[in-house]
Amino acid sequence: MFNLIKMNLYRMSRAVSTWVIAIVTVCFALLQFGSLKLIFDDPFNMFSGEAGSMVAFDRLDGVSAVTTFLQNGNVLIILAIFVVLFANAEHKCGFDKNLIGLSKNRWKQTLARWISAVIGMTALIAIGFGVMLGLTALFVDAFTFGSAVAMFKSLGLMYLGAVAFSAIFFFFTTLFNNSVGGVVTSLVLTTGIFNLFEMLMDMLVKKIFSSPKVLPTDIFYDSVFMNFSHSDASTKAILIFAGISVVYIVLSLLGSMVLQQRRDVK
Amino acid sequence: MEYLLETDNITKRYGPIVAVDHVSIRLKQGEIYGLIGRNGAGKTTLLKMLAGLAKPTEGSFTIFGESAEKTSRMRDRVGVLIETPGLYPNLSAMGNMKIMAMIVGENDDLYLKELLEDVGLGGIGKRHVKAFSMGMKQRLGIAMSLVGHPDILLLDEPINGLDPQGIVEVRELISKLNRERNITILISSHILEELSKIVTRYGIIHNGRIIDQFSQSELLRRCQERIELRPSDPTKAVTIIEKMGISDFKVVDNSVLHIFERLEDSGEIVLELAKNDIKTLNISIKNENLEDYFLHVTGGANYR
Repeated sequence: MFNLIKMNLYRMSRAVSTWVIAIVTVCFALLQFGSLKLIFDDPFNMFSGEAGSMVAFDRLDGVSAVTTFLQNGNVLIILAIFVVLFANAEHKCGFDKNLIGLSKNRWKQTLARWISAVIGMTALIAIGFGVMLGLTALFVDAFTFGSAVAMFKSLGLMYLGAVAFSAIFFFFTTLFNNSVGGVVTSLVLTTGIFNLFEMLMDMLVKKIFSSPKVLPTDIFYDSVFMNFSHSDASTKAILIFAGISVVYIVLSLLGSMVLQQRRDVK
Repeated sequence: MEYLLETDNITKRYGPIVAVDHVSIRLKQGEIYGLIGRNGAGKTTLLKMLAGLAKPTEGSFTIFGESAEKTSRMRDRVGVLIETPGLYPNLSAMGNMKIMAMIVGENDDLYLKELLEDVGLGGIGKRHVKAFSMGMKQRLGIAMSLVGHPDILLLDEPINGLDPQGIVEVRELISKLNRERNITILISSHILEELSKIVTRYGIIHNGRIIDQFSQSELLRRCQERIELRPSDPTKAVTIIEKMGISDFKVVDNSVLHIFERLEDSGEIVLELAKNDIKTLNISIKNENLEDYFLHVTGGANYR
């Protein structure tokens, strides 16, 4: 397993796509910083102190910085593309033919690939969030760091969410066995297209059952993630969010490993 | 352990299609076994199963005397090159070798360099694989299959798509690996003339089935010049021929006699058979090359 992770990290570090995505992540972080600077410091008097009308929070601190960067469809799209390209690279160039036959327990190769993808994703988040937070702390006058505990709690929860998303993207890439299928699924999940479908399903469920206890938007992960308000969440809400995330991680990984174990290499 | 690799009625079905149909082959140490077959005959599917890339629907196989279920830990002793080599195009030859080495736990960069030199890619530098010619990619694929110090190499169409120079280079490399490292090789191809220059034992696969297996010396014998005789009574004809003092002959398909000596005496043979009330339905002098022989046994190209 260690050898496999080492190999995956080696190929990740030498893939052009990794560095392109890292640059895009930094650019996105710069964009986020620029937006916060414009909205909160308002150097051109564009918003007349109405920053709250532009963003979902009225004060800029560590927790809202996490929300700005990680609870964001754009960052999820970047991470999705990274995970999908990385997960499918071996199959795309046929390198899996050299690898898969070497072990009877092919699921270990899948697990190692996902762990490596999460390590890469963690690095991207760290770089992007670090750049955005650093620049915001240094150059946005309205920024106050606030509670470090609250910020790291938010960061941890949103990171868990990103990891759960990575497992879902990883599963669909394994299922379709190509990047296109994985990217399309990821885009559907992260751009809110699927959310419209879920809301329609909510309405349908509400029509069928007078007062349903669980709605599709409570279960489908894109809604669970986007609707989660970590800044003022109760312990129960946090546990539910973390529980659903873990369930998605476990199910997606199990699905990917079973697929890999049973499928012949074409 | 008599055989390094042995399959027992190994079969692969894709829905109603039987890609490999109850194939049983055996490879002794040091052999180069040539798997001959048309496109779609089942060569690649068979090799994929042996390489652990596809699961047999039926049957089993052993490697180093152990069943496939237990061979997992020995898999790095089997080098594999199936169809085109699986390479990362944006990495150098050494970069690809390093990835392979990490998988099998090989840390000796010097050994990897030696392998690249062995396959003629020693001075290739940091050029990306995407800029390699087909022949270079094939040679790199072979080098990568050697990373785990394998005792068996499974090579599927390694000379496919190569120019004449590339074919010679890969052929010589395969011979060298067999000769110098005593690596047992299972190689598939439909370029029969090239295969016949290195192979020690053949298996002809047709519609998923192994329809014939023979050694190089047996092939030479089968292809050598001979009288092909179809008598009305083959059993009686055999007695007559033996009485004539002919010993180097063979009965094929219970109806045709191949006589390998006294080729100039065909008239005398026909006369002798006629004297004993045996009609000669057909007689001709033939010799074949491997390609003719292959077409003969597979019934291809309207072979007559």
